[in-house]
Amino acid sequence: MNSKDSNTSASTKSLDSIRFKTLIFERMRSWLPIVGLIAIAFLFNILTQGRLLSPSNVELLLSQVYMLMIATTGVFFIITIGGLDFSQGSILGMASIAICVVSRFSIPLSLVAGMLTGAAMGAVNGFFHVGRKIRSFFVTICTMFLFRGVIAYLTSDSPIVATATMINYDTTLVKLSITLVVLAVAIFVYNFTKIGVQTKAIGSGEKAARFAGIKTDKIKFFIYVMAGAITGLAAFVNVVKVGSVTSSSGNQLETQILIALVLGGTPISGGAKSRISSVVIGSLLYIVLSSGLIMLGLTTEQQQLIQGIVFLTFVAIFADRSSLEVIK
Amino acid sequence: MTQEISNNIPENKKIRLQIKNLYKSFGITRAVQDVSFDLYAGEVHALIGENGSGKSTLVSMLTGIHEKDSGTFILDGEEINPTNQVEANKMGASIIVQELGTLSGLSVAENIFLGHEDRFVNMGVKNTGKMNKEASDLLKKYGFTHINVTDPIDRYNFENRKLVEIVKATYFGPKVVVIDETTTALSQNGRDELFKHMDRIRDEGDTVIFISHDLQEVIDHSDRISVLRDGVYITTVNSEDTDEDELKKLMVGRELSGQYYREDYGEEISDEVVLDVKNVSVPGELNDVSFQLHKGEILGFGGLSGSGMHEIGKAIFGASYDRTGTVVLADGTEINDIPTAIDKSIAYTSKDRDTESIVLNQSIVENICMPSLDETRGKGVLTTTKMIEFASPLAEMIQVKMASIRQFVSELSGGNKQRVVLARWIGKDSDILVLDSPTRGIDVKVKQDIYTLMDDMRKNGKAVILISEELMELIGMCDRILIMKDGEINGEVQRDVDLSENQLITMMI
Repeated sequence: MNSKDSNTSASTKSLDSIRFKTLIFERMRSWLPIVGLIAIAFLFNILTQGRLLSPSNVELLLSQVYMLMIATTGVFFIITIGGLDFSQGSILGMASIAICVVSRFSIPLSLVAGMLTGAAMGAVNGFFHVGRKIRSFFVTICTMFLFRGVIAYLTSDSPIVATATMINYDTTLVKLSITLVVLAVAIFVYNFTKIGVQTKAIGSGEKAARFAGIKTDKIKFFIYVMAGAITGLAAFVNVVKVGSVTSSSGNQLETQILIALVLGGTPISGGAKSRISSVVIGSLLYIVLSSGLIMLGLTTEQQQLIQGIVFLTFVAIFADRSSLEVIK
Repeated sequence: MTQEISNNIPENKKIRLQIKNLYKSFGITRAVQDVSFDLYAGEVHALIGENGSGKSTLVSMLTGIHEKDSGTFILDGEEINPTNQVEANKMGASIIVQELGTLSGLSVAENIFLGHEDRFVNMGVKNTGKMNKEASDLLKKYGFTHINVTDPIDRYNFENRKLVEIVKATYFGPKVVVIDETTTALSQNGRDELFKHMDRIRDEGDTVIFISHDLQEVIDHSDRISVLRDGVYITTVNSEDTDEDELKKLMVGRELSGQYYREDYGEEISDEVVLDVKNVSVPGELNDVSFQLHKGEILGFGGLSGSGMHEIGKAIFGASYDRTGTVVLADGTEINDIPTAIDKSIAYTSKDRDTESIVLNQSIVENICMPSLDETRGKGVLTTTKMIEFASPLAEMIQVKMASIRQFVSELSGGNKQRVVLARWIGKDSDILVLDSPTRGIDVKVKQDIYTLMDDMRKNGKAVILISEELMELIGMCDRILIMKDGEINGEVQRDVDLSENQLITMMI
């Protein structure tokens, strides 16, 4: 009897210590991205003798971050429901074509056209993923090539050029406002609506979510469409900056998005631990890291090598293993 | 207790396997705690215990399926530490698992020699002819000549696949063979075959570890019986000196009585039908099932695990794929999907609690609010504060033991997870509760609370469907019990003081 008592109390103790350790670990994980951002910014600032954070360069950095941050916001929802998306770069290219063409008639209308095109592309992903029950990984890799092929076909003779007045919209005010609006809406939807709670639930346990009455297929489809539409906005921000579409527009944006999310601390398996702040921090971290490496004069190969190492390290840290573990 | 037994080894017996101070946890669940006992050479040693008592976990560690946390297995004086089934086979331990243990897509011969293909490889080339020849000789020796070794295993039904598994697990003469709840899936013929081979292995001087829920079968076919309860070793008894009642007492750890069940008898059930299920079929699960559920009634469903009773709950809740037939509420609404079911006041708790009832990696508060998000929101936006305001009283009422309501459900024990599920549906104020194995793997205190809750629901005019593998629970709680067999309703009994488990079992098999 005695031995049994001491046995139980010993194990409760060890349970508490396990819980304590996980708590500390969770705290550390949630602070790591912001600490990482500050550390990397300072490190590169010193290495570049203050050039990285000089006022003119900060403006340049920010002008690069808008497009990435907007597109990342849409994919954030996809990752949260436990999906993946590799087609966003190609969606950006497709939406850019629509924007360029429509801008010749009306620039505000071109923004709508970009969003609609993006939404349509997202609907294609959603249809094959949800309707035909194919993993998002495969669907979006296929559509990445498919859309890229269409872009290459449409831009084969010459780049598609937007109307010349488009350049008037290339102001910090326009780009910053679009980014802030997207972020504000995303924060609202994610934290203060039914869809937000349901999105997290699907990522944490789709079957249980379905059994709690959530229309999982409908929400997943909606999220792919929404992510496409948001990337349409990112395309607008891109077009006002560059003024035209070539066959390589938006190339590798998908990888940049995923890297930004992981750097920002989003668990790649999705679920309730996703925080929307990771979109902001992650995008900034990615841009600071990549431009820092460029300013240091590293070759493209060296940059890729370092980015690969950093990416892998963060994935290893943020992978949510507890949800993969078999708990009986 | 262990020492007593090891000190009293009968003279004609020698120890084959010693299990010493074994521990295993899954997350925070302690599945096996400090288990020690000995097995003799030349015996059929049964292992019994309620669901979740650690039987399967224990033998999984012996046969390399799970890794043990600590403790030792000593087989014929040598410690063994298998890390997978093939290694375990080489060390002399094999297992016939509870579920299907053969691999689809491979031939019968390939399945028999899975993991041992090296025997037939010469200079890097596999000699399929030789493999098939040996497999076919083995099947002949075992008397399973109706199975053709070159056929893909998929061509055979569950029972024949189990026969192949018997060959696979025993042909190489292992010293210890584990048979984990294999009999429930077999017909009488299949069982007889299995018992024949169990006897043969014993007579050859090897050891069989036999796990079964059928206590009579255990007493008839084993030499000694060891009992586990909640992961702890209780005792070992000689099969000759015991009976079902004693074993049951050992398994549950107390006298079985109707104490915590309902005590009323002879109450009239209302004529008011709240749910009408007509000709419901689900391919491979249910075949033309019809019944009615009345207001204020607790309707029980019992049966063997493959009887289709668990699918009934899903069918009513609109969660079955390919369901035909109709499920209609009193107001004429047809239930065909989950959102409609929930909206029209049906609640469902799944037997598979961790994947179908709760979202593990989400907080308690979100799990409770999930089906009631519109009610939680009220007017305006949905804030965390509102969700906590909605969930807290429910969690308190149903006594969820938690550090904080924002704690993740994955950190809770099985009983507390079930409390969260119930809090969710009480919050939704559902009128029809479909509870599939609500007390599975749950301690007595929570069980008692769940029974009280069901009784209160009934008294408040709600209707409850209780699907359960525990016959005592059905007898103790239900106004009416429907027994399922092969996807069909095979019998109906009314609430009665004198109702016995045997009356139900005869309808089940």
